[in-house]
Amino acid sequence: MTIENVLLVSAALFAIGAYGVVSRRSLVTVIMSLELMFNGVVIAAVGFSRFTPSAALLSSDPLTAEAIRSALTGHVFAIFVTAVAAGEAALAFALVFAMYRATASVEITDASEMKN
Amino acid sequence: MMPMEVSTLTTVAFWAAAAMTLGFATIVVTQRDVFRAAIALAGSFLGVGILYFVLSAEFVGVVQILVYVGAISVLMAFAVMFIQDIASGSRPVQGRVIGATVAVLIFAALAFTAYNTNWSLMDEITDPVAVAALTEGYIEIGTGDGVRVATEVPPGSNDVVVENDGVLVDSTSAVGVLLVREYLLAFEIIGLLLVAALIGGLLLMREPSGANEPEPEKEVASV
Repeated sequence: MTIENVLLVSAALFAIGAYGVVSRRSLVTVIMSLELMFNGVVIAAVGFSRFTPSAALLSSDPLTAEAIRSALTGHVFAIFVTAVAAGEAALAFALVFAMYRATASVEITDASEMKN
Repeated sequence: MMPMEVSTLTTVAFWAAAAMTLGFATIVVTQRDVFRAAIALAGSFLGVGILYFVLSAEFVGVVQILVYVGAISVLMAFAVMFIQDIASGSRPVQGRVIGATVAVLIFAALAFTAYNTNWSLMDEITDPVAVAALTEGYIEIGTGDGVRVATEVPPGSNDVVVENDGVLVDSTSAVGVLLVREYLLAFEIIGLLLVAALIGGLLLMREPSGANEPEPEKEVASV
């Protein structure tokens, strides 16, 4: 397990999600694939936090508690991305339901006209 | 000096979790039955959660399981059950081959970058106190701006001493301190964002005003 392996898994999950976003017709599956892409990005952030040192730890300045904690910036990034993804999922499904009520369809080809 | 050697067991667990994640993710994007895709998505999220535990990010792993496996998967299942004609399945679109090509190109570019970049690694840290602070633990001496970091209490010191575990070993407490010190503003803004998303979702889901009431009157009038 090295940083390269973690990034490989992250890239694979991101690519699978990207394929799902462009190849599925149902909006629900498209949103599922979007969540997969979010997860791929977060895996990379946590992997960097685990394997690569922050700049503050490599510098020759006297060591501070802030510099030590900066090793975990990737974890904080992961938590923020998770929160944004949760809000995005809730809003996306509200939009899908609104579209379903208006057109009785959740297929992405029927979403080309979003008037009224 | 290499902080946190990776054991064989950890590597096996990593590849097992990665296989679980990617296998379920493939089912999500190929399965026609949307409900099965939603179940596979929960499995994929769980695999990612295990990956976080393997990468010694316990707090992020717990958040992943609570938010994704617990909340977002349930939201997906509700969406699938709410929308009636979903039984017809999620048909793939025409440009599937182009999509697959683009996805493979994205993966190739990312993998090429990952393997051809000279990443700086943990063993480039020269300060032995920093290495110990990551893996074994450190103490903070003093208060306020005059805090010093060391591995052991100097003899005859009367300063306030706070003992901490290594941040990569016990990441949860350090992440908590990060959230309420360095990233306090972002933390508050994320709360505001979630409230805005909640209100926006409620507003979009609400029946259009006047859509229900006038209709019965019309029917009565026509009859």
